[in-house]
Amino acid sequence: MQRFQFHQARSIEEALDLLSEKGERTKVIAGGTDLIPALRNEEVRPEGVLDILEIEALRGIRELEDRVWFGPTTTFTEIEESSVLKCHFPLLVQAASSVGGPQIRNRGTVGGNIVNASPAADVLPALVALGAELEVQSKREGIRRLPIEGAIQGPYRCVIKGDELLTGIVIKKYPPETRSLFKKLGRRNAMARARMNLSLLVRLDGSGAVEELRVVPGAVMPVAKRIARAEKILLGKKLAPSLLEEAAQVMEEEIVKTTGIRWSTAYKLPVIQAVFKQSVMELLG
Amino acid sequence: MKKRGIGIGSMFYGMGYGFSRQDIGSAIVEICEDGSVIVRSGEVDYGQGSDTIFSQIVAEELGIRYDSIQMITADTFTTPNSGPTSASRLTYVVGNAMLKAARALRKTLQTVAEEILGEKDLLFVDEEVFSESHPEKRISFERLAKEAHNRGLPMVEAAWHDITTADVDPETGQGDAYDVYAYATHLAEVEVDTDTGKVDVLRIVAIVDAGKAINPLNVEGQIEGGVAMGLGYALTEEIKLEGGYLKTKSLGEYMIPTSLDVPPIETHIVEVPVSTGPYGAKGVGEPALIPTAPAILNAIANALGVRVVDLPANLENLHRLIREGLRESQTVGG
Repeated sequence: MQRFQFHQARSIEEALDLLSEKGERTKVIAGGTDLIPALRNEEVRPEGVLDILEIEALRGIRELEDRVWFGPTTTFTEIEESSVLKCHFPLLVQAASSVGGPQIRNRGTVGGNIVNASPAADVLPALVALGAELEVQSKREGIRRLPIEGAIQGPYRCVIKGDELLTGIVIKKYPPETRSLFKKLGRRNAMARARMNLSLLVRLDGSGAVEELRVVPGAVMPVAKRIARAEKILLGKKLAPSLLEEAAQVMEEEIVKTTGIRWSTAYKLPVIQAVFKQSVMELLG
Repeated sequence: MKKRGIGIGSMFYGMGYGFSRQDIGSAIVEICEDGSVIVRSGEVDYGQGSDTIFSQIVAEELGIRYDSIQMITADTFTTPNSGPTSASRLTYVVGNAMLKAARALRKTLQTVAEEILGEKDLLFVDEEVFSESHPEKRISFERLAKEAHNRGLPMVEAAWHDITTADVDPETGQGDAYDVYAYATHLAEVEVDTDTGKVDVLRIVAIVDAGKAINPLNVEGQIEGGVAMGLGYALTEEIKLEGGYLKTKSLGEYMIPTSLDVPPIETHIVEVPVSTGPYGAKGVGEPALIPTAPAILNAIANALGVRVVDLPANLENLHRLIREGLRESQTVGG
């Protein structure tokens, strides 16, 4: 294990003070399920590590009138067990319960899943589908808010700067008739990275036409994002096999456009299409 | 689309090393003055339960509680060489050595008990020795041990059991390569997602011939563990090499099944005693594992009509096979 300075903050202010001074050379640690292996493998060599788990203001789940706020050090287990999240965002709960195994879910945090920005993250794409907003603070800029889509620039690259701290995640509530589904395909049923996952959110209008649709495949592109072109094909229309087929095709094109052809595409491209079609049918069929 | 299939895998397995390779088990059993028993033997119990089995064998012969026996194993300073823990051989080979040593001690104790009790029809049961026809004539095992020590009789016995076989004919390869064979059959029921290549094993029925299950719960545990290993071998476990370097360096990459991957396992222990085993027993370690993968792969073939020939049948490999199978059948079907 390499040597580094270990800091522990008791408040957001204390953490921001330290980050404004040493942020570029300091890694923030919460559950440590990503950072500790990276430190062991010497993939990162920070001068200091800042523990934020003791900061009370960074944890918990609070239901507000039109949205839900939760702190970045909320663990996957806490998400899984939250009645508020189960009621309003079952997609997020499903995604959180698919992470690793019980030990990792007890330890790993939602903020870590966002900031680490692994292309194979499970909760991150679900948050993209839910249109989550990130609340970020620094001494330099105070509080700024940014949509999660766009906050991830590339594999393991999040726009949150060295002197900034993710201090909250906010999701707006959506109409109760909205349906959602999270699907994960791994090499085994627990303790496996996603070969791919899919976050799907759909709402039909009174006539049965698609009023809202969000499609976010994960682990098939460097960054999880909504496939707007595929969504558009189904929007405003009633579900038909030919339309679904077309949307799946477009999704494949979009993935190839961002990712290119890799060794894994021979498997991933047809299978993500199939998973997409299966999932839509499961939600609406 | 999801397709289901059922498959069977059967095997026979040569127990021990065979082919004239040295295969000897040994045991030193000692009865102390206070009636406690110490067993020394060179093999290691790495979790499969051989220490328990050996304790049971010695306890059965001496009529004492198996958990009162102290096992000292795998210590080159104090234990005799008993060969490695491998080839499913411990119960069958070392168990016989235990049996011989314990029986030799019992014979000595019997002479002492006959002298003290004046009866010959003696039973060794529940830490006591008594006459079957005159059950009031009895002596505790502890007291008997003390009496034997007082008489200066040998209360340590060492025994060896050798199952080294003759070799097969070097010209023809014919002959009886092993001392004894084990048999097992597994059935698997699977559901294959033809779109993703994902295999869900729904159920395994495992039937294993143990000769005699000295500890049925232990045998069941070995069968369930074997099935889990066989399932990983069939579906997920893979060692990757690149230019001679190992690429699969951790259990994060080498995918063994988790508890969420192992299906309900129905175990059936068949007991056809083998005359050369202790109480008719033979090993079940590897026999419990060998038929699982063939059963699963046969079930996949039954579900899909295409056969996996390269392991593991993981997502990518199976998906490729399904697509190739489809193309072939389309070509054949015009």
